[in-house]
Amino acid sequence: MSDFLVEIGTEELPPNSLQKLGDALQQNLIVGLKKANLTFTSSYNYVTPRRLAVLITDLASKQPERIIERRGPALQAAFDKEGKPTKATLGFADSCGAAVSDLDELTTEKGSWLFYKQKQTGEKTVNLIPEIVKQALKKLPIPRMMRWGAGDNEFIRPVHWLVLMYGNKVIKAELFGRKADRYSYGHRFHHPEKIAITKPADYVELLYKEGFVVASFEKRKYLIVEQIKKINKNTILKEDLLNEVTSLVEWPVVLLGSFKAHFLRLPQEVLITSLQKHQKCFSVADDNNKLLSHFIAVSNIKSKKPKQVITGNERVINARLTDAEFFYNNDLKQPLEDNLERLKKVIFQVKLGTMYEKTQRVAKLAEYIAARINTDVKDASRAAQLSKTDLVTEMVGEFPELQGIMGCYYAKANKEPKAVAIALQEQYMPRFSGDSLPASKIGQALAIADRLDTLVGIFAINQLPTGDKDPFGLRRAALGILRIIIEKKLELNLADLVEQAIENYLQDLHEAWHSDPKPIMEFFFDRLQYWYLEQGITPQIFAAVLARKPTAPLDFAKRIQAVTKFQKLAEAEALASANKRVSNILKKAPKDISAAIDSKLLIEPEEQELAKQMAIKDKQIRSLYKAKEYTKVLTELAELKQPIDNFFDKVMVMADDKKIQNNRLALLTKLRELFLHVADISLL
Amino acid sequence: MSNKIKTFQELIFALQQYWADQGCVVVQPLDLEVGAGTFHPASFLRAIGPKPWNAAYVQPCRRPTDGRYGNNPNRTQYYYQFQVVLKPSPDEIQDLYLDSLRMIGIDPLTDDIRFVEDNWESPTLGAWGLGWEVWQNGMEITQFTYFQQVGGLECKPVTGEITYGLERIAMYLQGVDSMFDLVWTNGPFGAITYGDVFHQNEVEMSTYNFEKANINALLEQFSFYETECQRLVAENLPLPAYEMVLKASHTFNLLDARGAISVTERQRYILRVRTLAKAVAEAYYASQVEK
Repeated sequence: MSDFLVEIGTEELPPNSLQKLGDALQQNLIVGLKKANLTFTSSYNYVTPRRLAVLITDLASKQPERIIERRGPALQAAFDKEGKPTKATLGFADSCGAAVSDLDELTTEKGSWLFYKQKQTGEKTVNLIPEIVKQALKKLPIPRMMRWGAGDNEFIRPVHWLVLMYGNKVIKAELFGRKADRYSYGHRFHHPEKIAITKPADYVELLYKEGFVVASFEKRKYLIVEQIKKINKNTILKEDLLNEVTSLVEWPVVLLGSFKAHFLRLPQEVLITSLQKHQKCFSVADDNNKLLSHFIAVSNIKSKKPKQVITGNERVINARLTDAEFFYNNDLKQPLEDNLERLKKVIFQVKLGTMYEKTQRVAKLAEYIAARINTDVKDASRAAQLSKTDLVTEMVGEFPELQGIMGCYYAKANKEPKAVAIALQEQYMPRFSGDSLPASKIGQALAIADRLDTLVGIFAINQLPTGDKDPFGLRRAALGILRIIIEKKLELNLADLVEQAIENYLQDLHEAWHSDPKPIMEFFFDRLQYWYLEQGITPQIFAAVLARKPTAPLDFAKRIQAVTKFQKLAEAEALASANKRVSNILKKAPKDISAAIDSKLLIEPEEQELAKQMAIKDKQIRSLYKAKEYTKVLTELAELKQPIDNFFDKVMVMADDKKIQNNRLALLTKLRELFLHVADISLL
Repeated sequence: MSNKIKTFQELIFALQQYWADQGCVVVQPLDLEVGAGTFHPASFLRAIGPKPWNAAYVQPCRRPTDGRYGNNPNRTQYYYQFQVVLKPSPDEIQDLYLDSLRMIGIDPLTDDIRFVEDNWESPTLGAWGLGWEVWQNGMEITQFTYFQQVGGLECKPVTGEITYGLERIAMYLQGVDSMFDLVWTNGPFGAITYGDVFHQNEVEMSTYNFEKANINALLEQFSFYETECQRLVAENLPLPAYEMVLKASHTFNLLDARGAISVTERQRYILRVRTLAKAVAEAYYASQVEK
């Protein structure tokens, strides 16, 4: 048993895939080792801009011994009359790599055969490693391979060295035209020289002490955070930026710089985005979360003159912010409203027209929604008209992720109503799964209208999401609509909304239009199911409610809630199976039975009692159902358990007398209807 | 910092000498309008085909939409690149580059030099490559690219391309905040600045690019260069055909700056230039492997 180390030394790797590459290389190696029956204790990966490495501890030195057993030709076909081995026998012996004299006989109750049994000693680990490493590298998730020089080698970036060690020995191998050796290299500038790895376990420490390289990603990240916190505890530590800078350095040295204070008049989001996106720098805030005119940069060297590094960064950042300020001032020169005309030149989708046309449809839809959720129709309409006007501003051209946010700032500057400005920002919420929802009614109306218009349009041109491809984000859009309606308790009916959205396209496009709302509704129900399952609602509960196809999401949600509570009642299980039984009986029953129950034909006391109780419940739940008090409806109905049980115990539904039979079927039909109000309980 | 390089022209001389010493053919700028050093036949065409090639040169670049009437200290519609191409890209190409920085007075143990992923793609040339922008204390001073495809053809062997932003490096070396304040050279009548040489050109050319260029004539020219290019490819004259690609490309850039091309049309124009570039690349490739 010894430790094993592989390190691929490369030119600077893409930062955003670094962690994924390290994890994948480790996983692939583990898979390869396991497949080869090589045991080990633990594994670690190390990734820096210039290396991918994996350390495996206590790796077995060879595969375990294996017993190989093979059955050959039947004994009667094994030798000819003269006792000489037949062709089949010779072939078998040959394939075993053995002489005929080495073969045994195997006899079972089914017959006798030639038999070969051999102990195969395991292959040595050092002989297996090169192929295992090669396969592990081949399966790395590399979005774009590259070639370099005159060779045919392909990798993420050119490869410069290869360390492959088992214990203190180098494993003989060649990959990417590099012979494996024990030599790694340190930091590009602080220690460009060779570092001899004495044994795998020393790797991390040698790189750290001699090489100015912190090999572990997590360790580097920790060091960066520690240094940042020491400088300023209010630094805005965005995780994605932190991972990116950790991927860009081998020896992190954190520096504090400042930009010209007058840039603080720019929207905070602009400052943060510009610092992060262009310069990979962190923003710094005061105790009240207001930005300061500082930034934090993470450099890769212990500079002889840190001040010079800071000044350099400051110069670039001031130039960048000058650009941003230039965009901001230019954008402020014309009101957002004036940009509407320019949207006539921006394509929404080739077959669905321009952004301007989309805006007009969204406005109609937003007005429709606003009227139904009791909010200001004029504001909703205005917000929709302006909703995409920031897309053609210079700032959003530079930073697309600021869409909506800039719209909000510019609308405020244009003295648009506050509700309109807020809606411009809120229209994109929720931006991701679990994100917060628009808080304002106008924002909600706009967010729903915008997504619905896209959804209906893309469905009509048949560009539906497939597998993991959802280029228009339709799944997210559908779920966003549902979440807003349900969580914000909006009284909206999706079927009506979809119809309205389709209507808008029909008026707009004056051509044959595939306008079937059915698949769209199914798509919504599909998303809804996915969402509910995630929250722990069982598929049965969902199916029970879905059977009723409630097209108002809020109503759907109330039913889900009611059925969930119902299922916890003691009576639930019995009632579910009773409903199933009723449903089965009715399925087989003739379709032409009269719906009316004739009380004179109710003979048995149990059916009389059931009919009586049902009549009482029918009255009780009618107003409850109207008020959507679904939980109460089901609680009331649960009280029918005893009369139903008694009925099935004592009463024969399919009585010989057709009249009585029909009357009982009518009774059950009525019973089924009672329960079906809220959900199909039989599906539980 | 080295005290040797004080002026803009000394920086150019130093880089030329350095790369000449590494075995590069020092060619002169292309005498046609181009948007980047990559368009020079010494890069674009020489990257095609099997023959090795090392070259270095200064290339004036014209990007009409980047004009700011001489008001922006960092952005102009006309500026210089120093371009190096090494085919096949040598193993030690990054070190050669870093040594060139040391030679002009940039010490990577003082300044934070970083290779930050930046993959390059030229939609008009049908070309792409992988590489980095090189940062010095957060400022991009160089583009570094391994060509993978040019004119739609696989690069075999691969050309390594190093593109220095001369003005930016000089601004750092001279410690000035505006490129117009760069000292070009110290003449008998005192310092000649970049502004002395080019400021008027920035103002007038910005005016021309954004306001005065004749749109209708340019549209006609674009079509002419396009058909001319196709004709020349058919006559198996890839080099003159390539000049037509460059002229078409620059004409497109001017139309773009004039705002004469809508968002949707833009894609179509780019596609038209790429189609030409591909045809030329294929014709040139054929000429290289036949000989």
